[in-house]
Amino acid sequence: MKIIGCGNVDRGDDAAGLLVARRLREWGIDAVEECGGGFALIDSWAGAGDVVLVDAVVSGRPPGSITVWDAGMSPPPADRRTSSSHGFGVAQAVRLARVLGRMPRSLIIYGIEGRNFDLGSAASAEVIEASESVARRLAATASCTCSPPPAGFC
Amino acid sequence: MNSKTIKVETLARVEGEAALTIRIQGDKVTEVKFRIYEPPRFFEALLKGRHYSEAADITARICGICPVAYQMSAVHAIERALGIHIDPAVRMLRRLFYCGEWIESHALHVYMLHAPDFLGYEDAIRMASDHRALVEQGLRLKKLGNQIVTLLGGREIHPVSAAVGGFYKVPAKRTVRELEPELEWALEASLATVKFVAGFEFPDFERDYEFVALAHPEEYPLCEGRLVSSSGLNIDAAEYEDRFVEQHVKYSNALHSVVRGRGSYFVGPLARVNLNFDKLPAPAREAARAAGFQPPVRNPFRSIVARALELVFACAEALRVIREYQPPDLPRVEAASCGGVGQAITEAPRGILYHRYALDASGLILAARIVPPTSQNQRVIEDDLREFAAQVAAWPLEEATWKCEQAIRNYDPCISCATHFLRLEVERD
Repeated sequence: MKIIGCGNVDRGDDAAGLLVARRLREWGIDAVEECGGGFALIDSWAGAGDVVLVDAVVSGRPPGSITVWDAGMSPPPADRRTSSSHGFGVAQAVRLARVLGRMPRSLIIYGIEGRNFDLGSAASAEVIEASESVARRLAATASCTCSPPPAGFC
Repeated sequence: MNSKTIKVETLARVEGEAALTIRIQGDKVTEVKFRIYEPPRFFEALLKGRHYSEAADITARICGICPVAYQMSAVHAIERALGIHIDPAVRMLRRLFYCGEWIESHALHVYMLHAPDFLGYEDAIRMASDHRALVEQGLRLKKLGNQIVTLLGGREIHPVSAAVGGFYKVPAKRTVRELEPELEWALEASLATVKFVAGFEFPDFERDYEFVALAHPEEYPLCEGRLVSSSGLNIDAAEYEDRFVEQHVKYSNALHSVVRGRGSYFVGPLARVNLNFDKLPAPAREAARAAGFQPPVRNPFRSIVARALELVFACAEALRVIREYQPPDLPRVEAASCGGVGQAITEAPRGILYHRYALDASGLILAARIVPPTSQNQRVIEDDLREFAAQVAAWPLEEATWKCEQAIRNYDPCISCATHFLRLEVERD
């Protein structure tokens, strides 16, 4: 299983995916970091089997809430307002990869709800706690041979 | 009298966030506002008090698409301030570094951002359903550009190896040569790209622009040369601020740059190709002729062809460099002194990028000035829209809106780069 943590450590709660990846590596579990740019993500999961991707999301739920999507079944919703190249993120990468046939065998996306994305700010306590929770769950999954957990709200 | 307002709250397929408002009364355009609302970023102020060695890494953060351009303008300006002469092998590596950025940036714009306009798709994802091979080709070209930037800069976004005097680390000859097979493919793919985009249908629209670009006596410009224009300008970078001025407009967080006493001007691939056609490699010139692209081309919608021609140049030049590359004895040379003032202009993918630094005797930055390409193209974009919107005023609103957005995308504007202020002026009663 390949684990990808996305985000920017200098943009508050956007660090969520990176916090998960870094914690996993501290525990000796492979996890890569990406900035979340869609084109790089398609390359990152190219040729991989089962992939788990962790990123910060904004859906209006309380900070620290965790949502899980099975991108093989349905891509995460894209914010239509962010149609610039800067908005070509995870959701757009999944859509493009599906069209091009460049999806991994399975792609589970963990979204950690963030609220504060100010430049230079630190992640909130809720997001740090949620990141720890996701890291523990992925560590448990990675240490056994079972499939990634099913999609749904956590 | 009929009135119409073309309004786009968030422009699609540009680098960053901006809006557009055009008001039309009858067949007359009464107002055009290309509004850049991303917040200003104050990089020039951030640089004050920092050591000159930090400028390349700080300014690289201005843009995730063209960080190499910021690094190159920064190091060249500081090297001029300090009287540093770089090793010829380093100069070659910098050209390769810049070619990598041109390839990734131009491939992104030609295939993913601009081609959907001409082929009638809302975005590249929808276009990929019908033109899968085309999108795959664009992604492969972009990936190659990123690989070159990573090889020389340590990573593909905000690279970290560019230094005043050279690089912190240079690659081995063998590593550089590993790029050759993919570059050979990319050169052929770029030539096919020219042929493909030249076959698009272009609106019948031309204006009499002042094109501005670097010109070098022996090569297609990247990091060096005099600044020339189609109206006779021919200056050194040190004279830039005497001839150009940035103006604040109320509705935009980006300054508008104009030629003093003349007005708007046009920078970027179309300007470069028009002013440097004879310096393009032979395959690019032949492809241009076969495509009916005969400079000077004054239709901005054909910028996509110029951008494709520059893909050919960047691939051919990268191949030349990797085949001739011999690592320098030292990755960088040190400065003998610290104080001084230096200016440099290099050719970012979107056009000329000006930097000026004033350094004190301990090497700290006293003042910095950065004029990005999109600031320089903003006024000409509005001028285009003023004429073009009148042409499409009678069209259905949705179609007219799309065409006006496309007219902005001709310039591949990088909104985030453009949001800077020279200074804050606070007025109080």
